[in-house]
Amino acid sequence: MGKILIVDDTLFMRTLLKNILFSGGHTIAGEAGDGEEGIAKYKELKPDLVTMDIVMPKLNGIEALKAIKEFDPAARIVMCTAVGQEQMVKLAIKSGAKGYIIKPFQAPKVLEEVKNVLAS
Amino acid sequence: MSEFEAYRGLFVAESRENHENLVKNLLLLELGSYQDAIDEIFRSIHTLKGASASMGFANMEHLCHSMEDVFQLIRSGTAEISPELVNLLLACSDLIEQMLDDVEAGGDSSSKNPAEQVNALKEWIEQRGGTIKAKTEVPVIPTEAQPPEEPARDIRTENCVEYGMQITVASECIMKDVRAMLALGNLKSVGTILSMNPTMEAIDEGKFDGRLELVIASDAGEEALKTAASGTEITEVVISPVKKPDVVTANEVPGSLKKTETDKKQSQAPDKTREIKNLRVDIHQLDHIMNLVEDLVINRGRLKQIAEQHKIKEMDEAIGMVDRSVSELQNLMMIIRMIPLNQIFNRLPRVVRDVAQYDGKDVDFFIEGGETELDRSVMDGLNDPLLHLIRNAVNHGIESPDSREKAGKPRKGYVKLSAHRDRDNVIIELIDDGAGINVDKVKAKGIERGLISAEVAETFTTEQAIDLLFQPGFSTADKISDISGRGVGLDVVKRSIEALKGTIRVETNPGKGSRFELLLPPTMAIVDVMIVRINDKRFGIPISSIVEVANFKRDETHQIGKGEAILLRDEVLQILWLNEMVGVSKSCEILIVVQYQKRKCCIPVDVVEGKQEVVVKPLSGFIGNTRGVSGVTILGDGGVVPVIDVNTIV
Repeated sequence: MGKILIVDDTLFMRTLLKNILFSGGHTIAGEAGDGEEGIAKYKELKPDLVTMDIVMPKLNGIEALKAIKEFDPAARIVMCTAVGQEQMVKLAIKSGAKGYIIKPFQAPKVLEEVKNVLAS
Repeated sequence: MSEFEAYRGLFVAESRENHENLVKNLLLLELGSYQDAIDEIFRSIHTLKGASASMGFANMEHLCHSMEDVFQLIRSGTAEISPELVNLLLACSDLIEQMLDDVEAGGDSSSKNPAEQVNALKEWIEQRGGTIKAKTEVPVIPTEAQPPEEPARDIRTENCVEYGMQITVASECIMKDVRAMLALGNLKSVGTILSMNPTMEAIDEGKFDGRLELVIASDAGEEALKTAASGTEITEVVISPVKKPDVVTANEVPGSLKKTETDKKQSQAPDKTREIKNLRVDIHQLDHIMNLVEDLVINRGRLKQIAEQHKIKEMDEAIGMVDRSVSELQNLMMIIRMIPLNQIFNRLPRVVRDVAQYDGKDVDFFIEGGETELDRSVMDGLNDPLLHLIRNAVNHGIESPDSREKAGKPRKGYVKLSAHRDRDNVIIELIDDGAGINVDKVKAKGIERGLISAEVAETFTTEQAIDLLFQPGFSTADKISDISGRGVGLDVVKRSIEALKGTIRVETNPGKGSRFELLLPPTMAIVDVMIVRINDKRFGIPISSIVEVANFKRDETHQIGKGEAILLRDEVLQILWLNEMVGVSKSCEILIVVQYQKRKCCIPVDVVEGKQEVVVKPLSGFIGNTRGVSGVTILGDGGVVPVIDVNTIV
């Protein structure tokens, strides 16, 4: 069970994800609506894990991931992705992402990935 | 689906924002603003797609997906932006909006078939000879930025053992190659990969069937390597040493030590809970709160009276405190109900574009002051009239590029919509640099329509002629177009604005353009009324329509036909007895002169009690429309008082 920061530009996705994570017994450290806010919230909240959307305003998920990794190389970041974004996810993994979940989210898959990444 | 019911409202609200952003940026794209617009478009369509997929709205997802394909070609520079393409994409956006309407009404977008639009999009792609290159993403991120590799573990070669590993990724995994990369990434943190099949490059290119073989040198031990390679959707990890180690020490997995350290740090960190700065509230709930606040205002008044009657000092003081809170609450509610005009302004560039294109006109459209706020109830009634005025400005106001050139004007027309707050009012102004209103044509039409006689028309001033435009059934358009004269005339616009307690004014300069000015109250909920008494019954008359309060001398009235009139300041004013409502009063001593547009008349009353700010509640449905009464208000003493609707009785 971990403290999780959700970074996504839509309240809809954040809510969806939040409820899935709640159902898995995790706590939500916070939410951020864009990459910049995501970085700031990470520094402020020091969550155990971050779910990071890729396409976002201001600063996209990959750039935010890099910044967070620079601040804390041990950061556990799971990318939220969609079919068709393979290249982006690969880029994210090369930059230090620890996992990925695919939209539309399936609760068991999300929870499994979060559990595995938290255990790593 | 049912598990997603809870998200429906949120889905619709956010998708509407994305839809609006999509349309806005499509228009910018057409105007030539490229990079930012396409990025925004991508983000919006991507979000729409993801959200609809999450909700299981297959039709909507399908449509968004097809649109995304086209946007990819645009972004990669393979496709040119043409008006036809923008038309097609806007038509698709319209369908998305219809789907959202459907979803909002409880549907799942399946009633809207996107096949036609999807085929048109496909056809367009094929015409470009473009195949949607198997999802070749155009990277948003510059690729040269090589990510810092995870710091490779310092390997003390003397302790290292070489292992052969076989990793199998689940067959149902959607991104097998990505899973393999994750496993490799984790392995790299505990050892050095000496060889692998397929190669890293092949995996990067997506050439991966789910089975990975590699040789790794590590001092971490078999278990640690197995753990590192395992993970979500990894079905099997087989490991066996290739070379016997000199010394085997089952070290701890380095990661696990680190974890306990960070855990400690976290538990020391103050647990700051997230601050929620905004939240969405259902508008009906807000209306309900507003009603409750109004009830509170009324009951506060009753309490005050009781305290006065019984002369209870402590209660009086307590009510004074309640009074302040209630007033503040009331003010706050007013502020909460205010929304920026951008809510409707943002939709208008699209309207201008469509009308201009339909009419073969070229128009620059500007918006200013969209942040000006209005009460939601005013906003609701403003949408249609504004839409109509904008269509009118482009359709009837702006000339064709050729005639503009002939008249020595730039080929491109200019339309500006602006809004600002002016003391107690919000002023919305619509300016165009078109042909202006042709007064002679208006007069001729007025005669033709039988609204005025030829003789009267002769004597008409420009202002009077313009007034004709607002008469029911008047339209100067030569033919009813698809765009503006949809049977709705300026008379409807005027009535709608007046229903909002606003006014509309027109100025025109032949050959130079027109200016429409809407003057609106920022809120309708609270009205300043004069409380009067006739036959011991009380009425409210809106202060905004009162022009004068005068003494009433019964012997100065004159019988004209069936009605009665009085001469006041050299003006003959009709007397409007409210006998029907209150019965005959013999003691009327005061005349309230009211005005609607240019018509004045006077209402005799017994007593004027004073001025008061009141909350006017509309009459409920079963009473129906009552001519002369716009609603009722409840005064502090609990008395229900009708408020007179001057517009309908003058």
